[in-house]
Amino acid sequence: MKKLVLLFSLFLTGTLVACGGAQEWDSSSNITLYTRDTSSGTRAGFMSGIGFDEAAEDDSLLADGFVIKDNTGILTSMATDEYGIGYISLASLDNTVKGLQFDGVAPTIANVINNTYGLKRPFNYVTRSLDDFANDTERDITLAFIAFLQTTDGADIVTNEGAIPLSSSESWDDIKADYDICLQDNSAVTIKFGGSDSIEKIALALTAAFAPKCGNFVPEHDHTGSSDGFKRTQGSEKDGDNYKHVGFASRPFKDTEVGTEGTQGQLAWDAIVAIVHLNNEVTNVTPEDLKKIYRGDYATWEQLLS
Amino acid sequence: MSMSSKRKRIDNLLQIITYGAASVAVIILSLIVVFVFKNGSGLINLDLITNDYHAQYYNGGIENVTSFSNTPKPNILTEEDYYSLKWGIALTDDIDREGKPIIIVSYIAEDSPLYQMYDKNNLDNDSFAIEVENIVQSIKFYDKDSTLSIYGAQHMINELDAESEFREMVFTSLGGGIRGSLITTLYTIGLTLLFALPVGIFTAIYLNEFAKKNRLTNIIRSMIEMLTGVPSIIFGLMGLAVFVPLTVRYTPADSANILSGSLTLAVILLPVIIRSTEESLKVVPDDFRFASLALGANSTQTTFKVVLPSALPGIMTATLLAIGRIIGESAALIFAIGTAIKDDISIFGKSTTLAVHIWSLLTDEPANIELASTISLIILMIVLILNISVKLLSRSYLKRV
Amino acid sequence: MDFIKKQFGKIKDLFHFNSKKEVVDFIIKLFFLISTIVSASFIVIIIVFITKEGIKPFVTDNGGIGSVNLVRFLTGTTWLEGTAFKSNLYSVGFIIINTLYISLLSLLIAMPIGVLTALFIAKIAPKRLSEILRTVIELLAAIPSIVYGLFGSGIILVFVYNLAKVFGVQSPGGNSVLATVLVLALMILPTITALSEVAIRSVEKDIEHGSLALGATKTQTNFKVVLTSAKSGIFSASILGIGRALGEATAVSLVAGNARSGPTLSFFQTTSTLTSTMLQGLKETTGIDYDIRFSVGIVLMVVILLTNAGLNFVKKRIGNVHVK
Repeated sequence: MKKLVLLFSLFLTGTLVACGGAQEWDSSSNITLYTRDTSSGTRAGFMSGIGFDEAAEDDSLLADGFVIKDNTGILTSMATDEYGIGYISLASLDNTVKGLQFDGVAPTIANVINNTYGLKRPFNYVTRSLDDFANDTERDITLAFIAFLQTTDGADIVTNEGAIPLSSSESWDDIKADYDICLQDNSAVTIKFGGSDSIEKIALALTAAFAPKCGNFVPEHDHTGSSDGFKRTQGSEKDGDNYKHVGFASRPFKDTEVGTEGTQGQLAWDAIVAIVHLNNEVTNVTPEDLKKIYRGDYATWEQLLS
Repeated sequence: MSMSSKRKRIDNLLQIITYGAASVAVIILSLIVVFVFKNGSGLINLDLITNDYHAQYYNGGIENVTSFSNTPKPNILTEEDYYSLKWGIALTDDIDREGKPIIIVSYIAEDSPLYQMYDKNNLDNDSFAIEVENIVQSIKFYDKDSTLSIYGAQHMINELDAESEFREMVFTSLGGGIRGSLITTLYTIGLTLLFALPVGIFTAIYLNEFAKKNRLTNIIRSMIEMLTGVPSIIFGLMGLAVFVPLTVRYTPADSANILSGSLTLAVILLPVIIRSTEESLKVVPDDFRFASLALGANSTQTTFKVVLPSALPGIMTATLLAIGRIIGESAALIFAIGTAIKDDISIFGKSTTLAVHIWSLLTDEPANIELASTISLIILMIVLILNISVKLLSRSYLKRV
Repeated sequence: MDFIKKQFGKIKDLFHFNSKKEVVDFIIKLFFLISTIVSASFIVIIIVFITKEGIKPFVTDNGGIGSVNLVRFLTGTTWLEGTAFKSNLYSVGFIIINTLYISLLSLLIAMPIGVLTALFIAKIAPKRLSEILRTVIELLAAIPSIVYGLFGSGIILVFVYNLAKVFGVQSPGGNSVLATVLVLALMILPTITALSEVAIRSVEKDIEHGSLALGATKTQTNFKVVLTSAKSGIFSASILGIGRALGEATAVSLVAGNARSGPTLSFFQTTSTLTSTMLQGLKETTGIDYDIRFSVGIVLMVVILLTNAGLNFVKKRIGNVHVK
């Protein structure tokens, strides 16, 4: 038994020794790229923001040795990996990593609102065509929801969730008289929301806040990716099992995704931040820098700093 | 002498190596438990288990406030609690189970004018009131910008204190609970056992009591045995390709759902249940069967009244082990049950079991390792309890036989 | 079994059952038979449906993209060249090698530790201690893989990252072959230990006593005689272990780094397995990028079957001592 305890402590010390040991940050080290997978809207927004759109859905254009992780993975890896670089949504940024300035502008909500921070993407919505709802109730609730998105109350929720709202002046109280549908009991009506999973948190907060204001309709969320936003409201799957009343896309709608009039619009901006380890000496990057890093033109941090 | 002392040294060395190997297992378990406990113990409480994941929203309005509060800041409050004398409310900054900053109501004075708030969404609601532990999302005013929870409690109290009316106060219950996932897990366990136990037990009975010992039986046996080698992610794909469309077509479901998930899990568990049932059937002495048959019972009567009851403890053990597997399974369920965390659980709807809840939290934006660890801790405790139950059960069974 | 049947026949001759009872008897038996057929048919259902979905990318033109080339798919070194949903240039060749490499390494770590632990539990440890250790092993076996994944991404990644630094190598955040191997070794250790222990305990006492009587020490007997006699059972344990390693998905996808080209043999670089590839980016529900995951599933099944067959063949060659 004594031997066992001895061995146990030996092993533990060994483990601890291996975990310790801080060193200086060495700029001659290679850059390790972290990226989301090709179905991610954040990736599409990031790649388009740095002028590298073709890499949004094409891994083979990225420099060798990149790591594919989800949002959590990139954030936690950047707390460990001193020589890594990744990108996350501004809403996820915390003090365990360093958010890089983009073209000299710090990634803050204020800078996104005053339109100086450039690395951002739009959060868009699309509804079914107005003549393509199963009944008037569903259509009117959907329209009321879209109207709510444009109010100061909608903007407050967007802000609270870490995204940046568009400017608005009217409150829901000011316009609710136009939406009689919200006066009746809608608790038997289900409205289906889908599309981008980057917008899921915001969409959930918006519907959770709006449902009690509009007869307690039941919001159902099933977020599977930006391209399903249009596909399941007005595109090829609009009459399928997975049809939606409202779809979201965390990128601009493509040319193939133009819906009928009055069914599409923007609800917010989301800033994307390039992040590195706290020890990293880099504080500022340009879009060209990021493109060169992700394309592999810069292999080491030295090359970027010089 | 030297020969034997050399032998002794080698023996000792080998002994130490085995001690070392065995301690590795203990170390791993301790490391995992410590890791999960360190990250997750902070959130463990009863509320976590009983609360909804999605918060309930309330919109309070107030007009023509006649009298304000006079209650001075109570001594029980600390500097972290920001207090508005006029409104008789204390707010404090906190972090919710998602790791997001929130503002919590830490105190409301008895003479607080906030009790005059009415439910803007339902004017007939008389029981509407803000309570301690509610979360204030925002307070909206008539002629200035709203104050939001991301600006912090101090800002909110200052803004509120400066006004003598407001347009709307949005407050919510505390979300992030795992009640929905817990219920889903229970539903999934129930449904899975409902499908897997009868089919599994009947198959075992057929194979052990009725089937002829021939090639065909052997083939059937090895076909069932082959299921054990199939990785769970493949079962997940099968669930997606077979059970999801099947349930969508014949039930109110319109996507992956608890039913399709349970059916998938039932297939995963079949070989386990069949094998352990067969093993406990084999232990039942043939004398029992002969005696029953000799007393005039036919073979099915013998099976149900004599053989099966004797094999019951073995089947119970298999069931407990199966429950452990259901609770822990994630790869198959990600495909077959979906990853949307829900509060209103319907067996025809998407939902998450506890293990899939962890998966959702880890892949979400922003991530939530703390809550994921807490759920892992809960799963570990359930697994431990099941394990001990199995031990006790088989011990009492051994005593009886 | 036949004996019971015969007895049953005799009893049946002596007594005359009324026909209603016999009908019930028949129906119940039929019910049992149907259950059995259902149980046995699932393996067929799995194979048929996975195959049906999985061959789509090879036999259809995938909505105008063109069909996937099977040879390229099985031998290539980059997962996908070109844009997702617009390209048919998929390959899993390097991922097959990665998967086998990682599983083999994890077995190399887990097997010696597992077998020695099993020996310790079965032969060396005092009764109390072996009871405790057995519970520890059972608990380890019952920990869900997602918890191993959480542990892996929280502890093992940091450990590997720092270990690489000690060796003067720069590892991408610890996401690497080594991290994956370690996580898998942890996961298959309980399987190997539990099954090896059964094999060791079922070695006949006579063999052991013979060795002791010939003057061998207890430890000598344990290592030279007991382990050798149990090698067939230990080998079976390893086969099951490697099966679990090949098929593990959730934990692996959190620590592998999901490299898109390869194969990766270096310990500290990112890698990918068949399962992690299947899990990554599974958001959309139609199109080639979705169907191809079923194709990877087929490859995974075939890899597991071939590995098992190969190992069983080896087992037959080396395992001359039969252990139940």
